[in-house]
Amino acid sequence: MPYSADALKIYLVLGLSSGAAGGLAVMLIPGARRRLRNMITLLFAASGAVFSWLTALSVFAGKGTRIGFVSGDLEWSLDPDPLGAVFGLIASTLWMFATVYSFGYMAEKSGQRVYYSFFLFSLSAAVGVAFAGNLVTLYLFYELLTLATYPLVIHERTPEAAAAGTKYIMYNLSGAGAILIAIIITYRYAGDPGFTGGPVLAGVNSPMLGWLLVMYIVGFGVKAALMPLHRWLPAAMVAPTPVSALLHAVAVVYAGVFGVIRVVYSVFGRGLAGQLGISRVLPWVAASTILAGVIVALRQDVLKRRLAYQTVSHLSYILLGAFTLQPWGLAGAMMQMITYPFMKMTLFFCAGIIARQTGETRISRMGGVGRKLPWTMAAFTAAALGMTGMLPLSTFWGKYYLMKGSVAGGMWPFALVLAASGLINAACFIPVVVQAFRGDKTPSCKEKGGSMALMFAPAAALVVIALVTGLVPGIVWPGAEAVTDWFFG
Amino acid sequence: MLIVSILAIPFTAAIIMLLLRRGSPAVPVSVSAIVFVSSCLLLRGVFSGNDAVLRVSLPGPYVPTFRADAASSVFAALAAFVWLAVSIYMPGYMKHEKRPESFYIWTLFTQTAVLGVFLAGDFLTMLLFFELMTVASYFWVIDRWDRKAVRAGYLYLFFSLAAGFLVAMGIVMTSEATGILPAVGSGPAASSDPRLFGWGIAMFALGFGIKAGIVPLHVWLPHAHSAAPTPASALLSGLLIKVGAYGLVRTAGMAGWGLADISGVEWFGPTLTAAGICSMLIGVVSALLQSDAKRLLAYHSISQMGYIAFGLGIGSCLGADGGVAVAGAVYHVMNHALFKAALFLGVGIIYVSTHETNLYRLGGLLRRFPVTAALMLVAVLGITGAPGLNGYASKTLLHHAAGIAAETGSRWLAWAERLFVVTGVGTAASFIKLYYLIFLRKPGEEAHRGKRADKSPADAREQSDMPAKGRAPAWMHAAMGLLAAAMVGIGVAPGFFAEKLVIPVVRTLGAEQGIAGLAAFALPDHVGSAFWNAGDVFSIIITLIVGMLVCIAGLRLGIFHWKPPVWMTEEGLGKMAAKGVLRLWDEGAREYHVIADNAHESGDALKNRLYSFVRKFDRARSGTVGRVTVTGISADAALLFVILALLIVWYIIVHPDIPESWLWIFRTQQ
Repeated sequence: MPYSADALKIYLVLGLSSGAAGGLAVMLIPGARRRLRNMITLLFAASGAVFSWLTALSVFAGKGTRIGFVSGDLEWSLDPDPLGAVFGLIASTLWMFATVYSFGYMAEKSGQRVYYSFFLFSLSAAVGVAFAGNLVTLYLFYELLTLATYPLVIHERTPEAAAAGTKYIMYNLSGAGAILIAIIITYRYAGDPGFTGGPVLAGVNSPMLGWLLVMYIVGFGVKAALMPLHRWLPAAMVAPTPVSALLHAVAVVYAGVFGVIRVVYSVFGRGLAGQLGISRVLPWVAASTILAGVIVALRQDVLKRRLAYQTVSHLSYILLGAFTLQPWGLAGAMMQMITYPFMKMTLFFCAGIIARQTGETRISRMGGVGRKLPWTMAAFTAAALGMTGMLPLSTFWGKYYLMKGSVAGGMWPFALVLAASGLINAACFIPVVVQAFRGDKTPSCKEKGGSMALMFAPAAALVVIALVTGLVPGIVWPGAEAVTDWFFG
Repeated sequence: MLIVSILAIPFTAAIIMLLLRRGSPAVPVSVSAIVFVSSCLLLRGVFSGNDAVLRVSLPGPYVPTFRADAASSVFAALAAFVWLAVSIYMPGYMKHEKRPESFYIWTLFTQTAVLGVFLAGDFLTMLLFFELMTVASYFWVIDRWDRKAVRAGYLYLFFSLAAGFLVAMGIVMTSEATGILPAVGSGPAASSDPRLFGWGIAMFALGFGIKAGIVPLHVWLPHAHSAAPTPASALLSGLLIKVGAYGLVRTAGMAGWGLADISGVEWFGPTLTAAGICSMLIGVVSALLQSDAKRLLAYHSISQMGYIAFGLGIGSCLGADGGVAVAGAVYHVMNHALFKAALFLGVGIIYVSTHETNLYRLGGLLRRFPVTAALMLVAVLGITGAPGLNGYASKTLLHHAAGIAAETGSRWLAWAERLFVVTGVGTAASFIKLYYLIFLRKPGEEAHRGKRADKSPADAREQSDMPAKGRAPAWMHAAMGLLAAAMVGIGVAPGFFAEKLVIPVVRTLGAEQGIAGLAAFALPDHVGSAFWNAGDVFSIIITLIVGMLVCIAGLRLGIFHWKPPVWMTEEGLGKMAAKGVLRLWDEGAREYHVIADNAHESGDALKNRLYSFVRKFDRARSGTVGRVTVTGISADAALLFVILALLIVWYIIVHPDIPESWLWIFRTQQ
């Protein structure tokens, strides 16, 4: 692979701008040209993925690249490190799956032009968050991500959607406000050394640092759905299913998780974070979110809301790993970050298929769905088992290394929390599956039709990926290893 | 190579059947036959001194390994043998059930999983197959998809999942304590953190203990084993709980069998012994109280697993003298697999013809099922430990071990020996009850005078005079015959099989410790010939006679109909606890909602108050302040005035110096 410095810069710029360019292009296409629009969308999503891959692989190979320019007093820079590369890689790859699924799911819906263009805009924003080289750049793309996804949340244009959209924007902008203030304070203390040259606040000594950290965690914790800042996430489930699947299970919420990890490891650094006592307090917050989220999920009847609360729980798996400040814990967080979306998106995809084909969104009325949609429910079953963290599926490895990190840090109760959470996850989804295959009601629908194939193929592909990576974790391990080496090496 | 064929053939067959969505009963039979032959070849190879090792060198942190030492290959061969017998039996039974094809598919998957657990070379691979077994065998339990099956399935699945997580935690903790990923059968590793290592061993023991159905982790077992179709029950009770036993064997090996001086795991032997005794007693007492044949057998599985756990526990307590106990446990694993499978198959034959498993509604079937009755008699005598059949061999060994333990002077080990005998009596009583009620009782005879008489005599007669729906197929009897032949073989020559199969296994298990330079089991040379002596035979015969008396007394007095009150059963306690937790949760949720609603309301009220307050400013108004009357001033203007006034006051009080640079306006141009 060509790794010349110029080529790397071009990859980086193309990876970042593909989404935005695609969004503009889709905007210009008249609404009736559906096929052309789909082609363009897929093309730009694919190009975003390919160039993000090229960038990420070069970062893993140890060849970073940096683009920066100064405007006024601020410097804007793109400078991917392994952590950013992992996030960029996941986000841009899964974008393709969600795009293909959208073609099926959105086929007969209105407002497709706006939908696809903002879908692509948010790709750029997510990649920007991943590859940002300093705090202001991160903040810029973080805000853009909120704004670019707002039209997707209110896509249905119902009063419920509007209310959810308001909630979404209020929560996220308040969080971003906290981040902005924290960034200003950080700049005052330490200037702007960027992320790649060691922790930003290294050597700074101030009694305010604890509060600064709290401000960051609260700010990013909104998007990471850290309880009690999670309320916007279940509300945002009024969005179309591909949006819920990609953005509100993976990309947007991962931006929050990514921000937290960034702050802990790149801004404060694990030395300073350890002095501030992160690993004494914050893992407990994460652990209680893990349990509370999934317990609340148990009581939800709308399938997508159940999935949303379960997302709240699973995001804190990643935070738990990061907060242990152990190499194994961070590796576990990365493995969880990489492997969990496969299964979660499958669950959402299947929920969307059920909603499209049968019109049912409530679990209590899904009895007998499995007889009509056997393959969908088979994929759902695999994903449900994945959520519990069983071995043939890749999510096991996230859980395994998180347990390892907790135990290595002398915090074995968290290993117990993870095991308990696995069981409660099973209690969340196994009954759904059993009722679907057993129930007496058999809604009239079929597992056929053109859009069905487009919806089912991504789900099936994700299950296969999860199975393969579960059996050969070596496929995704280099990512986790690179991040761990980067921060602990 | 053999390992690959043993694992790949059933798996591939299952996948093909799954994709074609059709299956023939010939597939499981032929696959099982091939697997049995392969595992016998593997056994021969391993016993001639070549451990089979297979490393799948994948990139990354997980390198699956497979390894067959004496213990693995004996367990695998046993599994293959029982599986072959049950596969022969399956078609005859499953044609009375719905969807036999899916049953065959999951049977093949489960076969792969069980063999995979036995042949795994590291604990992660073992966990992989363990989880596969959980999922595949779950479909056995819910095969009928009725309410009972689904409930049993939930219990089974959740306990099995918990077992999987506990094993995963065990792997994490032991590997963290020792610094290496534990390999199966490598003996104890030096741990840098004894406490963590001890916790790891505890997690393993709990995880495998759930699978083995050891009290108090047994709650799922009677439900799951009685809900599944009978061939599946036979395999569940015969083999799948042996996976738990195998795990316990390997865990005991990691804990050093009491041979190695490992700190942090001193509790292991005594705890396992105590759990084993509890399982033996609770299992057998519960079995006596059952009226359903399959539930009775399922509770006996708990009891018999108690024997095995007892043997392993005593073995870990006694150190170098523990060889006999471990040998007894391993021997009992084999024997229990044989007779429990046979018992389930026999009950299944009767069920296929009569559609009845309630003992009190059966009766007098000796004439209609002479062959079944004869084969069942072999199995019943086997499980009660009658001399001349296989149960005698292992129970004698275990009894010897209990005797050795009692001689150590520990008082509670002496009690263990006594309770061991009591369990033997209970076992005899419950199987005499089973056999009497099914085969010997005269039809319509009211054999019970309990308060809960199930049926009037007329009903009972009608039930048992039910016309036979076809005769039991010969193949089903052939399958039972295969198992019975093995039982009789072991029973006639217990020493031979002990020398050829059991002792090498025990030596391997003991010698694992030799790797670390530690002592191995000191096995007496005469283990093989020690089976036939007057004392043991006599004590067994006494046990049988007392058992028969207990059984007669129980049937006459109706004790067997006693239902223990809710608080005495673990399940009842669990239900009560769950109800309590749910109630608490609901209360908590209600409180939370009240608080949240109040907070919301007061927040709204505050917001409105603030809003109307601000709005007041915005309204133009007139007023008089002192002697100055202001008219038509809006809040904005008022605010401006106030701020200006404050600025002026501030300037007067502080009168800061105005910076030079601000004054450029006033400067004259030069």
